[in-house]
Amino acid sequence: MYIRAEYEKRDELKYISHLELMNTFRRTFRRANLPVAYSQGYNPHIIFSMSQPLPVGMVGHQEYFDLELKEKISLNKMQKKINQKLPVGLKILDIVQIHEKEKSLQAIVNTARYKYKMSIKKEVDQKKILKDFLDENEIEITRFRRNKDDRLIDLAPMIYSGRVLKDDLWEFTISTGSSGNVRPQEVIRALKIKTNGLVKEIPLVNIERLGMYVREEGKLYKPVNKQVLKKEVKEN
Amino acid sequence: MNVRDKIYDRLIEVSNPERYIGNEYNIIKKEWDSNKIKVLTAFPDAYEIGMSHLGLKIIYHLLNKEDNIICERTFSPWPDLEDLLRKEDLPIFSLESGKSVDEFDILAFTLQYEMSYTNILTILDLAGVNYYSEKRHEDDPLIIGGGSIISNIEPVVPFFDLIFVGEAEEHIVDIINNYSNLKAKGYSKKEILKKLSKQPGVYIPSLYEVNYDRQGHIENIIPKDNEVKTKIKRQLVSNLDEAFYPEDFLVPYMDIVHDRATVEVSRGCTKGCRFCSAGITYRPVRERKKETLLKQIDNILDSTGYDEISLTSLSTVDHSQIEPLVKELTQKYEGRKISISLSSLRVDKFSVELAKEVQKVRKTGLTFAPEAGTKRLRNVINKGVSESNLYEAVEAAFNEGWSTVKLYFMIGLPTERKEDLEGIISMVNNVLQKGKEIRKQNKKKMRPIRINVSISTFIPKASTPFQWEPMVNRTDLKQKINFLRSKLNKKGINFSWNEEDLSLLESIFSRGDRRLSEVLISAYNKGARFDGWGDFFDFDLWLESFKENDLDPDFYLRRREFVETLPWDHIDMGLNSKFLKNEYDKALKNETTSDCRFAKCKGCNICYNLDVDLDIIGNDYNVYKS
Repeated sequence: MYIRAEYEKRDELKYISHLELMNTFRRTFRRANLPVAYSQGYNPHIIFSMSQPLPVGMVGHQEYFDLELKEKISLNKMQKKINQKLPVGLKILDIVQIHEKEKSLQAIVNTARYKYKMSIKKEVDQKKILKDFLDENEIEITRFRRNKDDRLIDLAPMIYSGRVLKDDLWEFTISTGSSGNVRPQEVIRALKIKTNGLVKEIPLVNIERLGMYVREEGKLYKPVNKQVLKKEVKEN
Repeated sequence: MNVRDKIYDRLIEVSNPERYIGNEYNIIKKEWDSNKIKVLTAFPDAYEIGMSHLGLKIIYHLLNKEDNIICERTFSPWPDLEDLLRKEDLPIFSLESGKSVDEFDILAFTLQYEMSYTNILTILDLAGVNYYSEKRHEDDPLIIGGGSIISNIEPVVPFFDLIFVGEAEEHIVDIINNYSNLKAKGYSKKEILKKLSKQPGVYIPSLYEVNYDRQGHIENIIPKDNEVKTKIKRQLVSNLDEAFYPEDFLVPYMDIVHDRATVEVSRGCTKGCRFCSAGITYRPVRERKKETLLKQIDNILDSTGYDEISLTSLSTVDHSQIEPLVKELTQKYEGRKISISLSSLRVDKFSVELAKEVQKVRKTGLTFAPEAGTKRLRNVINKGVSESNLYEAVEAAFNEGWSTVKLYFMIGLPTERKEDLEGIISMVNNVLQKGKEIRKQNKKKMRPIRINVSISTFIPKASTPFQWEPMVNRTDLKQKINFLRSKLNKKGINFSWNEEDLSLLESIFSRGDRRLSEVLISAYNKGARFDGWGDFFDFDLWLESFKENDLDPDFYLRRREFVETLPWDHIDMGLNSKFLKNEYDKALKNETTSDCRFAKCKGCNICYNLDVDLDIIGNDYNVYKS
């Protein structure tokens, strides 16, 4: 049996890395006594995969993982069992069963939405700044890459939408994953350039990932949504 | 006040912020109640080292088991966090409640490694208290210490109000309660310490006076008044099987050094290696029963979710029920993919067979410690291992499919000659050769043979038969390392060694006296931190600190006279006063002393003096009875 779970990672746990998070889940599954499946070989591991990593320091409100189980177990019961054994700061919000041939999270998740606690010079019209920014045909920015040369990229086609929720609290929906990835801080850096420093850079902890989505024909679906689960799970 | 909240979002600026968040699964957060006694345990090293330390886990859970005690944790902040705290003018905080040291009644340090001494000062400094016990205020928390290097901690005792000598499980709660009661009755700290000094194992450094002669040798160490005991006797747990052991271990997020569940199968070792400090400070051997261990392991795995269990002790393979224990564990846990690891292997075939049994699930490296290169020198140090033991062990290992083995040797040992170093080289080469032959014959694919040779420097330690020996000098040490390095620099051999200057410094403090506390403070003020971590270590800074305080490092590295008063003479390990000297004399005659577990009593007298029995569970051994 394969399942896909939606969870949140918040509070202190925003400071644990992706690898540490994976270990935390693995240990939690064992504490919860789930019938997890193991890989073969010298170093057997729980068969388990996650969506795009959250950077250290960033809260995630709707994150996802897939897990294989050796036997069938009620989804409700499983959610309860895992939540009882998770540390404070991690919580499973939803679990659905998926087909074993379902495409991986990394393959389908292509969009993410972030909330930004902004730092903007006072007495400016923030909505106007955003509108001007989104109207740009080209938003060029230098991407710094570890062990590789810097590269010039255009963010414009990868920023799908933005909103000013209230002053200094913004939201952007941007492309993520292998088919075009925007790092959440790059949007701020681009804004800083476009506004000549009216918009200031902010630390990573000021950004939260609100959700991760599959974007199809302009519409956003959660990875647990029936619309994106292409294969029917046979009941037996 | 929660100090951590003030910099909570700025933790993103420091490396590994997960060191400071607490919140681990199984963390104990008790309500802050003014009627409770608050104890902050402090481990003077990084989180990932401290959280791997069994003693700290035992104390944390033992104290929190008490309804009237709140026990929290703190570790040395990494220099980047230290800088941030200083910049923001904030004190060091606990991981549980984020509170500062002044909100606690007691600050309790784990003392486990000489090279973490400066980190004690970081914590005291960031706690806002004076380093010296005698200069602290009446309302400062009581600052206490204890741990595995108790055989000589004189260089740091001026920083402590109270030291506990030995295994604390059966006494620590009493001491804490008594302190709290006496304080509530309005006694001064001085009066309280004097009263506490009467409890077993309690060492109040300020009640002892150390007098030096004109050459700087210790003349005597005497109690300041005649109500104070002249010697502090090491305490230990007489029945390990019934002793407290935690089962709801904290589960760190960080990839810590020993990231696994741990059970302590036995405590103490009587093999009698003459360089080994733990071999004396944890004597005699006390075992836990197989049934007790099985139950503990079950509970720990359930409560933590770990997929690895380590059977730990000073010599796990010697546990009298190790075979049936391992057999039952593998049967029980193979299906759950839980692997078992043995913390220390003997150099023999039996160990490899056991290792093979436990590593059915996951295969990890094998380590053997022949320690010296010739039979003569191994006799000197009483390491009862023969070359054929080693070759049998590694052959068995290669035949079982291990392609990598690690070999530990020591250099700078008493009486060491060139042929002893050549012996190391030929043993390593022979092991490599045997590996290659077996690999050639092996039909199944086997990775290229790899021998990891790890060379450590012998450091004479207090309360061992070699406590009078001089430390090898720097030039010789460098030469020895260079010689081995050049001869073992070949394909298939990976050579590693201890930083020479770091070994010298450790040696100074291992046999140091109270005057060195001044050197520690000078070095700390010059920026010494985390000295045991090679990346921060600066020997020149230390040399300057010695000079500033008019102390000569060579004075501490020299040979000690048998008639000399040693800085740790007032700490009673329970030994017969002649035992160490006899062992030393035997060493020089290349004579060995067999393990009292398997042969008759060797007269160290610890069982008698400390009123404890060698406690071997599967009992057809010759047990010493007083």
